[in-house]
Amino acid sequence: MDLVDLIAEKRWLGQEFLTWLWFKSDERGGSIALPDRGDISVVFEKHMSLESGEGESLERITCSGQQSELREARTGLAMGKKLESARLSFGFNDYEFSVTLSGSLMEYRSVALPRTEGTEVDGSNPEEVEGMVLERIFLLEELTKTVNQCFRMFLDIRLGDEWRDELIKIREWVEKNAEVVTFD
Amino acid sequence: MGLLKGSASFVRFSVEGELPDSSLEYLLDRIITYSFEDIDDNYEEYSLGWVSVQNMFDSQFKNSSWVAGDYITLSLRMDERKVSAAILKKCIIKEEERVRLEKQLPKLSRSTRVEIKERVRSELVRKAIPIPAVYELAWNLTEGVVLFFSTNKKAQALLEDHFRETFGLLVKQQIPYSTAEALLDEAQIIKLENASPDLFV
Repeated sequence: MDLVDLIAEKRWLGQEFLTWLWFKSDERGGSIALPDRGDISVVFEKHMSLESGEGESLERITCSGQQSELREARTGLAMGKKLESARLSFGFNDYEFSVTLSGSLMEYRSVALPRTEGTEVDGSNPEEVEGMVLERIFLLEELTKTVNQCFRMFLDIRLGDEWRDELIKIREWVEKNAEVVTFD
Repeated sequence: MGLLKGSASFVRFSVEGELPDSSLEYLLDRIITYSFEDIDDNYEEYSLGWVSVQNMFDSQFKNSSWVAGDYITLSLRMDERKVSAAILKKCIIKEEERVRLEKQLPKLSRSTRVEIKERVRSELVRKAIPIPAVYELAWNLTEGVVLFFSTNKKAQALLEDHFRETFGLLVKQQIPYSTAEALLDEAQIIKLENASPDLFV
């Protein structure tokens, strides 16, 4: 299958992952316990877009708001939409990254790296520049490895026997969020 | 942008296949062979090739590094002479009218109009200043992964073609499904192939 067909056919996988990640982060107040690694913080911020359907029936909403709000997004979940992109921050090892992740393509957009001494130097000294490049690549790879670990955790649950129970919890979470929006 | 400073937007590509020679000399030779050639002083419409991540005018890598640890760091530069559709349309109509009056014809033939269109386009393209676009990448040689600092689909297609021409290797964009294939064991991959989306409501 070529890439274009694969993206279209498996678009749901990344969207389910991002939506599950939001549920998982909400479930423990902004932290996720990664197998073999422990807790990391994963906080959904300000901006997200949700989608449902495909082709001509594709519907998309874009929402911004404060961390715990995002009411329209929560309403969108209750209408059967899933996350297509979200601005989120990851915190681990005293680092904090902000990134806009896209679900269907797994693009990393507008990544703000943690500020370290080595990430911003002027270009006059070749050794300093090489050190800075290595530092920045190291941080970017730390982020992608962390996202992949979250994705791996999702896949293990999604493809395992636990998924049935996880899906019930996700549906309860979606329903509860819809009630909060209605009665607020 | 994003490899050297500021916020970064990127996608991951896996590198498929083996290099015939993994020495740095071989890699540099391939990079120089497919490096960027300036078109400011000629009339070429388009040029694509590798330049230094630190200096878009350094395509011979004499003064800048292209290796950092286990990583190859390069920029893919594309210069293109472009003419806006509105300018092209205006100039074609103007020239058609000039030729029609000169030849005292009520109407130009189709072949004359095609000739005018091609000639005007060619003249305008030659006058246009090439517009540069630069996309950085970091290639992790150990893990066979490229971080490409653009989410633009056209730029990604250019990378795929130019990387294959330069190194004889395919790069494959890591969308969620292909990332999953790299993370899972065989039994899980079969389950994933057969999985379908679930409703969350």
